[in-house]
Amino acid sequence: MRLLYQILWKDHSRVHLLGAFLGTLAGFVLLLAGIQFYMDIKSVLSENRDLLDPEYIVINKKVNIANTLGLTGGGFTEEEIAEIEAQPFADQVAAFNSNEFPVQAYTEGDQVPNFITDLFFEAIPDQYIDVKSEDWKWDPETGTIPVIIPQDYLNLYNFGFAPSQGLPQIPKGVLSMINFKLRLQGQGRGNYDDYNGRIVGFSNRVSSILVPVDFLEWANEKYGYFKKNDPSQVIIVSKDPTDPSIIRFIEEKGYDTIREKLKSSRMNIILKLVISFLVFVAAIIIGLAFLVFLLSLQLMISRSSEKIRRLNKLGFHYREISRPYILLLILLMAGITGLSLLLTSVLAGQLHQRAEAWSLNISSSLHGIIFATALGLILLISVANVAAILISTKKLCK
Amino acid sequence: MIPLPMLEQDTSGSEVWEAESLLLEQGKPYVVEAPSGRGKTSLLSVIYGIRTDYQGVVSIDDRDLSSFTSKEWSLIRKSKLSFIFQGLELFDDLTALENIQLKNRMTAHHSDERIMEMARVLGIDPFLQRKAGILSFGQQQRVAIIRALCQPFNFLLADECFSHMDRENSLTAYQLIREECEARNAGLILTSLNETGLPNIDHSLRL
Repeated sequence: MRLLYQILWKDHSRVHLLGAFLGTLAGFVLLLAGIQFYMDIKSVLSENRDLLDPEYIVINKKVNIANTLGLTGGGFTEEEIAEIEAQPFADQVAAFNSNEFPVQAYTEGDQVPNFITDLFFEAIPDQYIDVKSEDWKWDPETGTIPVIIPQDYLNLYNFGFAPSQGLPQIPKGVLSMINFKLRLQGQGRGNYDDYNGRIVGFSNRVSSILVPVDFLEWANEKYGYFKKNDPSQVIIVSKDPTDPSIIRFIEEKGYDTIREKLKSSRMNIILKLVISFLVFVAAIIIGLAFLVFLLSLQLMISRSSEKIRRLNKLGFHYREISRPYILLLILLMAGITGLSLLLTSVLAGQLHQRAEAWSLNISSSLHGIIFATALGLILLISVANVAAILISTKKLCK
Repeated sequence: MIPLPMLEQDTSGSEVWEAESLLLEQGKPYVVEAPSGRGKTSLLSVIYGIRTDYQGVVSIDDRDLSSFTSKEWSLIRKSKLSFIFQGLELFDDLTALENIQLKNRMTAHHSDERIMEMARVLGIDPFLQRKAGILSFGQQQRVAIIRALCQPFNFLLADECFSHMDRENSLTAYQLIREECEARNAGLILTSLNETGLPNIDHSLRL
């Protein structure tokens, strides 16, 4: 009813409502942009490395002259592994298995230069490996051994060796297509078998030549004759890689690890901190703006209290009287939702452009969670405000 | 049917407040003549559900008023009871016509033509487009009367609604009110400070 709106909307405070509108809008944009940014960074980081997830720390013993002379073993004894497992920062620990027989890799055919090299294998359970591949399984029927090599090896070749020797660089995909032979040698002359080898992935996490655990167990059973060595590397999964006791333990024991990994995970924690601070600030702004909203509408209602009583005397129910306030609220909320989504997507677009310059793959469109968050919050604020409007108009009516 | 209650104020010798019970019947006009402070407005406010600070029981059609919900009250005020308030309760910022339409649009009771006709009868048709706030009190009273007539009702409660009109205007307005009441077979309770001398009043109540 037009007249009802004319009567009740007259008593609004433009300044209050505008302030609440802008405040809520600012809070929303901050919050949504924060979430969008977080999702982007998260996807970028997890694309490159699993930094946001539990950190995988590979440790080994420092190589010293005693190792070289064979006086002390370079591997971790069972007691040492048990001690690592007992550390509070170590959520999971796995030792690397290694081959107990000689391995040689060589190429055949005309397409690739012939080479032959002695090789080693190590294996850890699949859950520690950052490469997920369909081909990462050992099938004795086909006799193809999947191998994962460190990304660093390929980098060494592509960016160090190949340019200096005038050789072509090899992309990952091409390397994966190259077939080579693996010769597993048992004890005694002529006791060997040839298998096909195939590189199925490149690991950023593990600096070793990996084969599936079940293959290595099977091969050690079949060909192994070396004295079983203590594992030279141990992988630790830590939920909190910032825990300073990790570094302290490693140094105390004289172990070694790639410190960069711990450094980058600290950066990740800082990023998380910054984002959560942003979200926290946004939450406070939204909370305050919500209060201003609530109070502005309540002020509007109390300014109109005489009119509301009068309307009630004329036969208007408090629900009918609430309608102009609720409509105003809905209009403002719809404005905030629309504008905040628009501004956030503009920001996301800007970020996308800048990130492209750094060749980071950041989505230019909004994540689904942004819409869900915006709608959820708007709904929450609206429901609370509608309830407050109904309560206070009801109080004025009989 | 309105048996009346006791109010907490000095009401000695009152036909209404001191009575064991009182029945007001639909279709009959009642006039309540009493000086200030005897509870004329209180009586109407109790019936209309605005005041609840009384002892005793007031009921409409055998239902206790205190049992009505807010929804039922707004329904009653749209279709069973109409009130011409002493304080008029007009919206100053709306025009006289808009004040009337505020009620008529809710009830869709009268056509625009009928509203214009009533305004003409009461002599306020030239002022309908003016803001209610700038009209004289007598003119405002007539706007309030027309507004109160823009709905169905079983009882019309008129609280000193002629106080600022001359004799001639009062009689015209009274005639209009009676016509409208008869068209609805509705009762009328009309309060006045002094003797009205209005015609065709069967029942007079002393407060």
